[in-house]
Amino acid sequence: MNNNSVLKRLVSNPDFSRLLILILMFTLTAVLQRNFFAMKSIVRNINSFTPLILLTMGQAVVILSGGLDLSVGTALSLMTCVLTSVMKEGVPITGFFALAVAFAVAMAIGAVNGFGIGYLRIPPVIVTFATSFIWLGIALFLRPTPGGETVDWFQAFYKIRNIETAPAFLKAFGEIIPPALILVLLGCVLWWVISRTKTGRYIYAVGSNSQSAYETGINTAWVQMRACMINSVFILLAALFFVGQNRSGDARMGDPLTLKAIAAAVVGGIALTGGRGSVYFALIGALIFSFVSKIIFFANIPNAFQTLFGGVIVIVAIAGSQVYTLSSRRAMEESKLT
Amino acid sequence: MSVVGSFRDSTAYKVVDRYKKLIIAFLLIGFLFVLGEIVVETFLTVGQILLTIKLASFIALFGLCQMVVIASGGSGLDLSVGYTATITAVFTAAIMDGQNANLWMAILVAIGLGIAIGLMNGVLTAYFKLPPLVVTLAMANILQGVINVYTAGKNITGRPSPVLQIIAAKSSGMFPNILFILLIITPIVMIIMYKTKWGLKLFGSGSNETAAYLSGVNVKMVRCTAFIISGTLASLLGLLLLGNMGIAFKDMGSNYVMPSIAAAVVGGVSLTGGDGNYLGVILGAIFLQTLTNLLVALGWGDAGKWTGFGIVLFVLLILYVSNRRKR
Amino acid sequence: MTVLEATGIRKHFGGVVALSNANLTCRQGRITGLLGANGSGKSTMSKIITGVYSADAGEIKYNGNPVRYRSPNEARTAGVAMVFQNLSLVADLTVWQNIVLGAEPKLGLFLNNRAAMTLCREIVDQLLPGLDVRKMVHELNPGEMQIVEIAKALSEDPKLLILDEPTAALEQAQVKSLFDTMRALVDKGVAIVFTSHRLWEVMEICDDVVIFRNGANVANVDFTKDVKDPEKIVNYITGEAGKARIEKTRRTGGDEIVLRVNNLNHGRFLKNIDFELKRGEILGIGGLAGQGQHELMLALAGNYPGVSCDVELNGEKIRLNRPANAIRNSILLVPGDRQLEGLFLGHSVFTNIIFPKLGLRAQPLFTPEKKYRQETQEVIDALAIVTYNLDMPVNSLSGGNQQKVVVGKWLSFDTNVLLLADPAKGVDVGAKRDLYEYIVSQVKENKMSVILYASDSEELIEHCDRLMIMYEGQIVAILEGDDINDDTIVATSMRVEIGSGK
Repeated sequence: MNNNSVLKRLVSNPDFSRLLILILMFTLTAVLQRNFFAMKSIVRNINSFTPLILLTMGQAVVILSGGLDLSVGTALSLMTCVLTSVMKEGVPITGFFALAVAFAVAMAIGAVNGFGIGYLRIPPVIVTFATSFIWLGIALFLRPTPGGETVDWFQAFYKIRNIETAPAFLKAFGEIIPPALILVLLGCVLWWVISRTKTGRYIYAVGSNSQSAYETGINTAWVQMRACMINSVFILLAALFFVGQNRSGDARMGDPLTLKAIAAAVVGGIALTGGRGSVYFALIGALIFSFVSKIIFFANIPNAFQTLFGGVIVIVAIAGSQVYTLSSRRAMEESKLT
Repeated sequence: MSVVGSFRDSTAYKVVDRYKKLIIAFLLIGFLFVLGEIVVETFLTVGQILLTIKLASFIALFGLCQMVVIASGGSGLDLSVGYTATITAVFTAAIMDGQNANLWMAILVAIGLGIAIGLMNGVLTAYFKLPPLVVTLAMANILQGVINVYTAGKNITGRPSPVLQIIAAKSSGMFPNILFILLIITPIVMIIMYKTKWGLKLFGSGSNETAAYLSGVNVKMVRCTAFIISGTLASLLGLLLLGNMGIAFKDMGSNYVMPSIAAAVVGGVSLTGGDGNYLGVILGAIFLQTLTNLLVALGWGDAGKWTGFGIVLFVLLILYVSNRRKR
Repeated sequence: MTVLEATGIRKHFGGVVALSNANLTCRQGRITGLLGANGSGKSTMSKIITGVYSADAGEIKYNGNPVRYRSPNEARTAGVAMVFQNLSLVADLTVWQNIVLGAEPKLGLFLNNRAAMTLCREIVDQLLPGLDVRKMVHELNPGEMQIVEIAKALSEDPKLLILDEPTAALEQAQVKSLFDTMRALVDKGVAIVFTSHRLWEVMEICDDVVIFRNGANVANVDFTKDVKDPEKIVNYITGEAGKARIEKTRRTGGDEIVLRVNNLNHGRFLKNIDFELKRGEILGIGGLAGQGQHELMLALAGNYPGVSCDVELNGEKIRLNRPANAIRNSILLVPGDRQLEGLFLGHSVFTNIIFPKLGLRAQPLFTPEKKYRQETQEVIDALAIVTYNLDMPVNSLSGGNQQKVVVGKWLSFDTNVLLLADPAKGVDVGAKRDLYEYIVSQVKENKMSVILYASDSEELIEHCDRLMIMYEGQIVAILEGDDINDDTIVATSMRVEIGSGK
């Protein structure tokens, strides 16, 4: 074995290519954005990337298990509305109630989606399409217009400095390591733990070949339901951040994120057919996606074009990844025929 | 032969079985009417019913787009119909500018847009094998983006030609004109779907892709064509929407997407393809519009509407689509 | 010690009786082989004792206690492990993850991956030393995948191990390792049931053999006591009926060659296929199930875009890269799995029968309903299809009539070559007779040429002028005339020389 073949193997390894692309996008953004390396900018970038990262990771889990969730955007909105409806400004304890209620709502959302996908075996795109409207309706019911209240300590999810009564060292800490980053880390830890349990393994098995998994005695419906509930937790983390940042709940804020989360997951190597990919690389996919959006922003493309480009990026991303996967799969099938 | 056996053979049973889903849709509408009348006294007035039919006609026409795409199989769905209609309305409003003179040009532009959008959707789903829901959703986003670019900083100008307004918004006597459009289109659709070779190829591709392929049908082209038809219909509907509203605005079409799919499901169109009766879709549209009216009458507004649609669709999916594993 | 005792097993599927009176006894520490022709009931038997199917009648005793397994899981928990031909592996997991799937060793709530890997390495090393258990299953070749399947069964520490055609995908060396492992297992007291289409394998590894024919076991041969005589075994498989030489009227179609196929290759499935089809003849394809017959039919029908071959129809070169091309050349396929490949289940008999016409360019935009309805009625009459009327949905017809619809689709076409992929499978006797009567009459009157694949050798014997036997993707023999009989067919299918003691 010489250097040539090692290099060839590296380059054809899709995960390696993704890392390369990430570094490329990172560099481009650094070049285009002045003060990229200033602390303020870094924190601002982390904050703006975090919601998509969390949603993408959650979506990745669902897709891995053989599903797809088109309701993540409206679910996110619903959770922000729930949080801001339970909390009462100036009454710190309502913050805890809000957390508890939002968690319960998240589990319910995951259970409903999981029930439809796993037990009823309705095609995931259709059933989550339907449920997305249920979440939207309930969110509109809670918050017909954006608003609601938050408690002071909820800023811990966004900017510790905003909490007047916080100790100085915590505030300083929050300047360097923004809470958003902690939330992402929390998400990573969550997945790390799950991937070391049966659930984590079975998510892959069910997503890859649910018939074989079933024949081995795995309760595939329950596995898919758990995947949806894990997704809900990620969505909840994103909701906490949003409420911290905007201090209000909005029934429509999540809409644009749904498609981006799916596209970012695909860019990160999650196969839409299920069973293939890594949640950590989905995170990288979200980073790539976010950097590309930033590049477009800084390349001084007029505001108006941004939605347009957003959609085009999605299609290119998904089509590109699909073409790549299909061609490498075909190559593998052909080698298996001989 | 047992009594049950002879009942099964009777024509009555066969008719009922064949049109099962249509009958259910009909009964559901009846149920809503009764419920509405109990809740709100003025629910069943003639004027109200005619208004319902008018609004439902639009849903039914969008539902036709969905039916064609869904019937072609491969988990087909078209989420871009809303923005296709909107973008056509926006562009043609400027072209027509309130005059009849440019109506034909507007129609041509509409058809061109529809074909282009449909072609892109079709190629990406049939040839690149990307999931239709994701592709059409992304396409909707792109179209939204294009509209944003086009209208950046300026208002959408233009008004529909008077002819369009007459067709879409006005009534002849007590019947809304759009109803006549629907009545003309429906038999045409039925004939094309059931009596032409293309229609049968469409159903075959959706019913059994392999059998269709082995019989020499180019399934990919059939599915691509389905999207082209959907896109063209949607953009022509944009003209009608423009005629109905009098101006074009950004969210014109997006409120029709969900109901169009729901109408198809209520009407018994099988989501896996191969099956579909347009009469069912029309009934489905009427059902959904009646449901909306009921929710509005109850004072539940937007929130109620979306929750209601979502729940109804979910329940219907459970009844029609769910596929519990056989042990 | 008897581990398993199955007596008087009956099983039917729809109208077809798969097992009429089957018995099987497995003893601890012995390898029992199951042999039989296609459709003899031996795989049904394996599936019943492992809980995949449930028997209609009969008793199964496991370790002396009567049992009734309702699912493979129940059998598994009782210590019965099985390896079937349709692989149940998860492609996106590694070898070791697959082996322990469903029974992962744990440390509290967490998976104990190290223990799992060690366990799997041990098992795999016995079967295929050198196979890295950390490889993803989708990277393996079919032989390696089969080994992993076997490893998975072994990891459950079974008392009774059922191996259904495990050697089909294996190479010589892998088979040897498998046999060594099997011997090691029986030394530990495991009972094994083994089926293979390679007769010499059965004779080498098995202690006794149970031979199935027509749904019942007709002979038990104990290799530890009796002499191993392949010819006798073949006779048991085919039975006395094989002895009778059926006198057939030879078709005189002349020697004009309609279809010439050279060098047909398709990956693993078809290798170097060469043959000629004469006008007006019925050329059969036989051999054990799964040797490439179905793939050959599909290839001739244009279903494989990537197939490489040299094909001439009536002297002209044609390309078979799309079904539409084959249809245009009037090479028409009646597919084997009617539900998956041949019918539009929710649609009417009428729609199904006229469907292929729609693919032809000459057809008008509006389907000429009256004309087509008349043609459909003619088809229904010609094949005696039992249906209330033309508009009945096709899934309300019986299996046999559905099959007639699948054949009937092509009747109004001018057929050059009719490809029949198991046309009478799962069809009742009456419908089968109608179908073949019609086909034979077409051959006689219109000099249609037919390539017929049937899993039931009786059909082949009765109707074929020549019969090609396929084995592992190649044509290994072409039988003619009197050679087309049960014994010869079975012998060539199993690659046994009759008349030379082995």
